[in-house]
Amino acid sequence: MPARPIVGFFALALLGSTGPLVAQSPSPGQDLKAAIALQGFPCDQVVDSKRNADSDYTATCKDGNRYHIYVDATGRVVVKKL
Amino acid sequence: MTHVGCASQRAAGGSLRVGKTLIECDDPDSVMQAQARRAPKGVRPLLSLTAVSLLLFVVACVHDGGSRPVTAGPAASPPAASPPAASAPSASPPAAAPPPTPQPEVGVPAPSAQPAPPQTNVPTSPAPTPAAQPGPATAKTRPSNSPTNPAVSARAPATSAAAPASAAAPATSAAAPASAAAPASAAVAASSPSSRPPVAAAPTLDLNGLEQRLRDTHAIGLFTKLSLKNQVDDLLAQFKAFHQGQSRSTLEQLRQKYELLLMKVVGLLQDGDPALASAVLSSREAIWGILTDPKRFAAI
Repeated sequence: MPARPIVGFFALALLGSTGPLVAQSPSPGQDLKAAIALQGFPCDQVVDSKRNADSDYTATCKDGNRYHIYVDATGRVVVKKL
Repeated sequence: MTHVGCASQRAAGGSLRVGKTLIECDDPDSVMQAQARRAPKGVRPLLSLTAVSLLLFVVACVHDGGSRPVTAGPAASPPAASPPAASAPSASPPAAAPPPTPQPEVGVPAPSAQPAPPQTNVPTSPAPTPAAQPGPATAKTRPSNSPTNPAVSARAPATSAAAPASAAAPATSAAAPASAAAPASAAVAASSPSSRPPVAAAPTLDLNGLEQRLRDTHAIGLFTKLSLKNQVDDLLAQFKAFHQGQSRSTLEQLRQKYELLLMKVVGLLQDGDPALASAVLSSREAIWGILTDPKRFAAI
């Protein structure tokens, strides 16, 4: 009998802790998706990403579009559609 | 109608009306006592208790009836005051407005008559922006105490600036643009945004703090931050060219770009860092005021 309240408490604690965990830092896919969207390219969701080098990624979106995202020598984020 | 025996009222008169209860004092022995005699012995204490409670009730009613004529005087006076109001029925709502004036006397007794309408206007538009930053808990206390005067003083230039434009209608700013010419309404519309940013700018803007918070936030990733920084730098370059007279884009176009970039920032922040998003959003007009002012822009 006392196990049920304990389980419920831990379930609530887990549910409550998921918010801060999610909001703590975005995943690389979300970051790439935001960077792609900020450059004006369509990408509803990044389903796959490959790291080529430092600050150099190739991302595949759910709609099939593939993008090359990197930081050039001047410090600008560049998004090129592949 | 209830009959209650009362020996004390016999000298004053035959009967006493309290509300719907007629107290007749013609019989020296009360009806309750007569009933108590007729009642069996077990019920007698109960009846006496009831008689005592009824006696208390009667005393209370008599006391209340003695105090009511004092309150009945003011109750009778409103009908006397209503005939003057009958000539102008629309004036009765303003007559109902004075009851709010007792509320200001708790906070500020002096500006009772004239500042009352500005107080109702002030919390609608400018109050949320200043109240959002300094402290939400003091937001309700602030409009009643001190910021009413700055807000009124800040609005006074706006109305005084609008008064020369309308030249006839002093107070009705909403009706003046409709009736007056288009330039007058444009002047009013141009004067109101120009007067608002300085009011919201002073308490809300902390560019360095906002920049640091944007750098430190975990709500957006590195690529996103870098992209935003690039776009902010591009917009600043466009403003710099605008102030130097080398830009082809107008201030309206720059405003659209600025709004778009701000919405991007807020949209990226609102899920992960809503406090920073609201801070950025509340600083929108203040930042715009800096961007459009060449002197302040050069100091960035």
